[in-house]
Amino acid sequence: MNITSRDVILLAHAAFGTLAGLAALWVFVEALNAHPGNAGRMYKAALIAAISMGATWILGGYWYVHFYPVDKAIILKGPWPFSHNLFMETKEHLIFITGILAFYLPIAVRDKVYAKPIARRMVLSVAMLIVLTDLAAEGAGAIIHQGVSIALQRGNEKGRQ
Amino acid sequence: MMNTETQQPTRASAAFALAAAIACVFNTALAWAKDAYAPLNTFMASLTGHHWITHALADCIVFVGLGLIFMNTSVANKTDPKRLVSILTWAVVAASLGLFAWYLLF
Repeated sequence: MNITSRDVILLAHAAFGTLAGLAALWVFVEALNAHPGNAGRMYKAALIAAISMGATWILGGYWYVHFYPVDKAIILKGPWPFSHNLFMETKEHLIFITGILAFYLPIAVRDKVYAKPIARRMVLSVAMLIVLTDLAAEGAGAIIHQGVSIALQRGNEKGRQ
Repeated sequence: MMNTETQQPTRASAAFALAAAIACVFNTALAWAKDAYAPLNTFMASLTGHHWITHALADCIVFVGLGLIFMNTSVANKTDPKRLVSILTWAVVAASLGLFAWYLLF
């Protein structure tokens, strides 16, 4: 078994991104049924979303700056250049939007979500936007990975011919 | 008649909601600008070693900076709360689709 720090960082980036999305979904569900008893739990879930998003930013950023150039070169020589030109370019900037929303979520949740319809509406909107943009980023990550995989596969096939 | 306190978000919530909306739109505008104008990309890379790191820091500064400014002014609090939710939602939708459309078309 040969697991490098490159692999660990990439997988941890995806794992924290998924955790942030799940925590935001948890906040959404708690907000649907907001009452004084679940305010603390909702705040903890919002903090998990914000911290996980911070972790995925740092890990993803480190990986993007230090390791991605090799993958990018492979993708651009392969049959799926759009996995970089469209999906990576969008993802590397979309994740900032998800991050800003995740950092805002604990601030919105600190309001009396159980007592104020407007605070509940804000938390529901922000949590759902985090879930949707996070899912889009996860999907883009899968397409980028496939872009590398297909390029290497086709390269090997050409080499054997 | 409902208590007005139940219709208003906290000062911090309103301020940072508006700051988040602006930061999301700023993020997309900066992505467009550095993609369209290579010297900006180079300049941003020269500041921290990579344009992506500078971009992340710029977004954080806009979000936190504007949030703190709006907390100390009444701009966000004077905005209709329902409108504030709509502004943030539509800013995120427009900024996200704006990114995708830009890299799809250009």
